[in-house]
Amino acid sequence: MTGKLALKTGGFNEMNCKHTALLAVMTALCVGIQLTPRPPNVETTSLISFLVGFLFGAGFGALVGALTMFINGFFSSWGFAGIIMPFQMAGMALIGFTGGFYRKILGGNPNNVASPTKVLRLEVSFLAAFLTLIYDVITNVGWALPSGVPIIVALIQGAWFTAIHIASNVAFFGSAFFILVRIVSKLLGEGLWSSQKEAS
Amino acid sequence: MEFSKRSLVIFGLGWLTSIALVGLIAGYYYIEYQNLLAKLEEYKGQVMRVNICINYEGWNGTIVWHNGTLVLAGCDLLSATKRVAVVNYTYWQSMQASFVDAINNIWNNGTHYWMWYRWTNNGWDYGPVGADRYILSPNETVMWRYEKPQY
Repeated sequence: MTGKLALKTGGFNEMNCKHTALLAVMTALCVGIQLTPRPPNVETTSLISFLVGFLFGAGFGALVGALTMFINGFFSSWGFAGIIMPFQMAGMALIGFTGGFYRKILGGNPNNVASPTKVLRLEVSFLAAFLTLIYDVITNVGWALPSGVPIIVALIQGAWFTAIHIASNVAFFGSAFFILVRIVSKLLGEGLWSSQKEAS
Repeated sequence: MEFSKRSLVIFGLGWLTSIALVGLIAGYYYIEYQNLLAKLEEYKGQVMRVNICINYEGWNGTIVWHNGTLVLAGCDLLSATKRVAVVNYTYWQSMQASFVDAINNIWNNGTHYWMWYRWTNNGWDYGPVGADRYILSPNETVMWRYEKPQY
C-alpha cells in the first residue's frame, strides 16, 4: 500500500484515501444539514449533491443525493416521508447526476473554475433553478398520484414552496458553488480538474 | 458579450423555469380567487356590502371612501367601521350605547367630534342613535365626519 486505496466502483474513477474520506465527510454533512430543522424548502442537499457529482462524478452525485433523501425519509424533522420518498430520491439523484454531467460539458478549462466568470456563476444559478423546479415537479407528482389530486393542482398549491426552494437554491449555488469547488480541490491537494479524469 | 451554446441552453432552461414559476404562482392566486368567490356565494345572504365614508373635514379635509365593505348581515355601524379603521370608543351605560372617541387616531377634542350620518333620499341625515345601536342595511351608505357639532 502506498497510501492509495484504490476503489474500483464500476464506472467510477479510482479513488484514493483522501477522496474517500472527503466523500464520506460530504455525505455526512449533506445528511446532517438535511436532518437539521430549518425553514421549509430551504436546503443545501441539492448544492452538496451537485458538488459531489461535479467533483467525484455523476454516479457519486446521484448516489449521495439518493441516499441522503433515503435517510431523510426516515429521520426528517417533518416526519416519515412515506410514498413520496422514492420520488425525492429520484429528484435528488438527478441533481447529483447533473453535477457530473455539467462538469463534463464544461470541458477542460481550469481557469473558468479557479476564478469563475459572472457567466459561469449565472449558469450554475440558472441550472439550479431548473433542477429545483424539476425536483419539485417530481416530488409533487409523487404526492399527487397516490392522493388522486390532479398533478397541475398539486403543483399550483405548492407554488410558493417551489418559489422559496428555487430562490434559496439559486442563491446558494450562485454564491457558494465555485467557492466550495475551490476549497474541496485545495483539500484534495489536486488541480481542479485532475480528480476526475473523464472531465478533460 | 458572447455566450457559448452551453450558456445559452442553460439560460434558456432558467428562462423556462421562471415562466413556469410565474405561471404556477398566477395559477395559485387564480385558484385562491375562485375559492373566495365560491365561499362568497356560499355565504350569500349571510353577508352584505355597505359604503362607509370617513370625512376628516375638521382636521385636514381628507375624505376617504370604503365602498363595498363586506360585513355580516345585521352588522351594526360600529362593527362595520372597525373593519375599515382603527376606532376608539367608550360604552356609556347610562345611554346604553357607545360613543366614538377617535377614528384612525384623530381624537375628539373640546370643539370637534366624530359624528355619523346616513344617506337618504333627502341627503345626509344625522345618525339618530349610537353607532353600535344602528343596524346597517345592505348597500347602505354612511359617513363619519369630524366636525363641530351643530348643537
